[in-house]
Amino acid sequence: MKKHIYLLAAFLGLGVGMTHAQIQKGSVLIKNATVLTVTKGNLESSDVLVQNGVITQIGKNLTAPAGVTAIDATGKYVMPGIIDAHSHVGLDVVNEGSAPITSEIRMKDVVNPTDIGIYRALAGGVTVSHAMHGSANVVGGQNATLKHRWGSMDPADVIMQDAPRTIKFALGENPTRVHGRGNGIQPRSRMGVEAVIRNGFNEAIQYKKAWEKYNLAKTQKGNTLTPPAYSERLQTLADILDGKIIIHCHSYRADEIYMLINVIKDFNIKKVVFQHTNEGFKVAPEIAEYTMGASVFADWWAYKMEVYYSTAYNAAILQKNGAITSINSDSAELIRHLYHEAGKTQRYGGLTDEEALAMITINPAKQLGIEDKVGSIEVGKQADLVIFEGHPLSSYAVPQMTFVDGVKYFDRKVDREDQRQWVAATEMVEPIFLRANEEAHRCMQDVDKYFEAFQGAFANEKH
Amino acid sequence: MNKQFLKAGMLGLLVAGWLSQAAMAQSDPTGKRRVTSTYAITNATVFKAPGDPGSKATILIKDGVILGVGNSLSLPKEAKIIAGDSLFVYPGFIDGAGTMGIAKPKDVERPKDFVSSNPADEIAGITPWRSATDTYTAASTQVDDWRKAGFTLSQVVPDGGMLPGKTALVLLGDGKTNNFLKLNAALAANYRSSRGMYPATLAGVMAKFRDIYQNTSLVLDHERLFASTAGVKRPQATPTQLAMMPVVQKQIPVLFTAGTELEIRRALALQKELGFKLILTGLENYESVIGAIKASGTPVLIKLQVPDDKSIKAQKADGVTEATKAQYARVKESYDKALKQAAQLEKAGILFGFSTTDAKAADVQKNLKTMMDNGLSQKAALAALTTNPAAILGVSGLVGTLEKGKLANLVLTTDTLFKEDAQIKHVIADGYVFDYEVKKKAIKAEATSAKPEAASNAVIVEGVWEYTSETPAGSSGGEITLKRENGVLGGTITYDDPSGSGKASAPIKNASINGKALSFEFDVAAGGMSLTVTISGEINGKTMEGSLSVPQMGSFPVKAKLSSPSQAN
Repeated sequence: MKKHIYLLAAFLGLGVGMTHAQIQKGSVLIKNATVLTVTKGNLESSDVLVQNGVITQIGKNLTAPAGVTAIDATGKYVMPGIIDAHSHVGLDVVNEGSAPITSEIRMKDVVNPTDIGIYRALAGGVTVSHAMHGSANVVGGQNATLKHRWGSMDPADVIMQDAPRTIKFALGENPTRVHGRGNGIQPRSRMGVEAVIRNGFNEAIQYKKAWEKYNLAKTQKGNTLTPPAYSERLQTLADILDGKIIIHCHSYRADEIYMLINVIKDFNIKKVVFQHTNEGFKVAPEIAEYTMGASVFADWWAYKMEVYYSTAYNAAILQKNGAITSINSDSAELIRHLYHEAGKTQRYGGLTDEEALAMITINPAKQLGIEDKVGSIEVGKQADLVIFEGHPLSSYAVPQMTFVDGVKYFDRKVDREDQRQWVAATEMVEPIFLRANEEAHRCMQDVDKYFEAFQGAFANEKH
Repeated sequence: MNKQFLKAGMLGLLVAGWLSQAAMAQSDPTGKRRVTSTYAITNATVFKAPGDPGSKATILIKDGVILGVGNSLSLPKEAKIIAGDSLFVYPGFIDGAGTMGIAKPKDVERPKDFVSSNPADEIAGITPWRSATDTYTAASTQVDDWRKAGFTLSQVVPDGGMLPGKTALVLLGDGKTNNFLKLNAALAANYRSSRGMYPATLAGVMAKFRDIYQNTSLVLDHERLFASTAGVKRPQATPTQLAMMPVVQKQIPVLFTAGTELEIRRALALQKELGFKLILTGLENYESVIGAIKASGTPVLIKLQVPDDKSIKAQKADGVTEATKAQYARVKESYDKALKQAAQLEKAGILFGFSTTDAKAADVQKNLKTMMDNGLSQKAALAALTTNPAAILGVSGLVGTLEKGKLANLVLTTDTLFKEDAQIKHVIADGYVFDYEVKKKAIKAEATSAKPEAASNAVIVEGVWEYTSETPAGSSGGEITLKRENGVLGGTITYDDPSGSGKASAPIKNASINGKALSFEFDVAAGGMSLTVTISGEINGKTMEGSLSVPQMGSFPVKAKLSSPSQAN
């Protein structure tokens, strides 16, 4: 008898511990809204039922099960949580800019769940962001896909654990500036960038072979083969070759985009997304055929030489050519109004509402490999939702509530003055100046510190 | 027996003895060699371990080892007696991790063909083969300061980059001897990146740590294969890998410096991934991560400091907006939370000690008091200073408690530890006795006489007290005359003249009475020198019991009786 009680207690204890480690999931019924599903059309005066973090019903006149809060969204719009395929919000480090290939770097190591940028993104309806390594290196670090579960102090809670691995690549001026001009090593030119990538993959093939040979030999009796050196750098490149990781490649010019397409064809790599891609419109058919598309700015260019040949029609041209296209922020400020950025594709390119919204929902979801989980309002998907006052593509749209996994993390009506999660015990309270930190969360963060001796030569190029 | 000698009295003996040490020790030109390495602290109130309510006992130590703690010890003739009647004895404090006496090693010069993307380990701050003892100076003033604060043992941590080297356990004994208790105790690690080379960031440091760890593990596989099979190529471990081997083999822990909650989580995540033994040190903000620490079973060493209250003091009551007030409130909330952290560790049942890194030796008492005012129990505080770090450092069999066979590391205080007026009078480290001047508090406004309702309970201190003092040289005595003038306590004291005849008299200074505790000082002139003698004790009715202490000499019990009371005001 006693023994049973002990066993029960032990089991319960364990159970409690496990629940604690689990991510919070909510239930909610959103009533009578215009539901913009993105993939299944618009539903007038409809309800969305969320149970335990998952969308379980979409329809009219749904009733809230016991214990589930109902929210009246009459006159309001519900859309899928916005997904930003290029962000540096929630990271303590962006660039390990000290070597041309740093594929062993994991952005998951440096996620900071208390970054106020996460909350600000939520206030702009963004529920998922792709926290990327910067563009200082040809092959940067492995990125982290974040779910904006604001309020947790544990990085593991804001990392989307069921998202596939992705990695940052960078072409053109940034890696050649940092390593070539800054440090006198390869790559000093676009040719060098290609060589670094090809050499990296070839080395990874050798590395993989060496390990396969060793793993086979070590089970044999009398084996004399010794283990090869471990290299997470090469292992990660080998994982790319094996299709386990999606490349997200910082790029601007058509020639370098086409170069990387040739490289991936040679190495039989299928999973590549181009980032920025300002000249993507010149190679749109090729991007559509060989890659997972492009993630672009709506209308941002001319901040350095390689970004002059640009057009606001870029997204629409890519889209019309069949390339999966998303609009991203790469900025802690732009991430707050990506719905405006998506709206620009209607002014420049005349995209439909659904096409424009897809640019910030299902399309980036596809590029991050999470389209089966998020990116549209469908039964069975994770309940990342935003309630808007006004149509989200209207200039007057204002996000009202943002949900991640059915849990409300932002509510405009109960938005506290001070949303900081953590305040230092020794903070001197100073007068507040309303000025954004313009240097925060940019592609070349941490590089200036690294190469500060050369700072004068590098002007203020950040992307 | 020489009558003159007897007459000289205890003070005379002490002073003469002190003077003669330098002048007459022919066999020891420095005059600093100690007479004996055997000491007995007699009849002291001894607290053997945290939670011990304390009991009267004598402690006998010899050559740095405790020979016994008890009431029926037979004391050898060579034992130097430290009269403990008015003293309280605790196990010596242990610094879980610190940098006292540690100097930064010289930077390694970069070679001409230096490649910043793949620098040599030594240049990139990866020097696990180094030892803290390479740059440790036992005679440093930092060591003196921490010893004065009661510390007798420290795990010294080398300075340097991400893997600066191995720590060492050092005793805070005589600066001229080898004080090493344990070399290569742990591998020091921190998130320090290298400037202008790989690894240049926190992300790089974590990746590099994994790389070193995994490759060391593979080299060990290689070595095992080499040892067991013919025809295997020779293993070639790098100095880094050789030095990492005890970590990978879980023989020694990694001592990871992690001040903030995120840093702690990152270290815990690395540990979970790789499986090494871990001690976290330098914890400063850890309130939200206590659950994760507990779940991982990792012992921690928190900073022996509390956040400074400058920002709290700078908060203005008037002339600020509501928004600013709200910000003030958040800082205050954080501040209050920070002070309670240590108590929460205790509540969570986490094994924790202290790290002296970044802390000030002079603030130890104050910081401990703040932690205790915020919920940390006395028992836990003492455990964090003694038994906990002993367990964390794997030396519980040697230090942490007062028991026969343990190292002679003791702290002797004038009152029970953590009491506001308690002061450290002696520290014994590695069997070496260090004496400290016990300072008197400034005279406080006399609450007892100022408040009418308290007046009837006020102790009578003014009057003439006849005192005697017991010393190894016999007993001596005289009269203490105390009186208050303009609210300030003062008077005179007579004592046996050190020059050998009659009584001498001296004015009383720095006298104070705090409740029943009386203390004062007086100067004794002897042989052209002046010594400040301190008498402190507790008054009970018409008697007073306490101690008389002479700098460099030690302290001796004193008893006094009020012979002619004067009227209290």
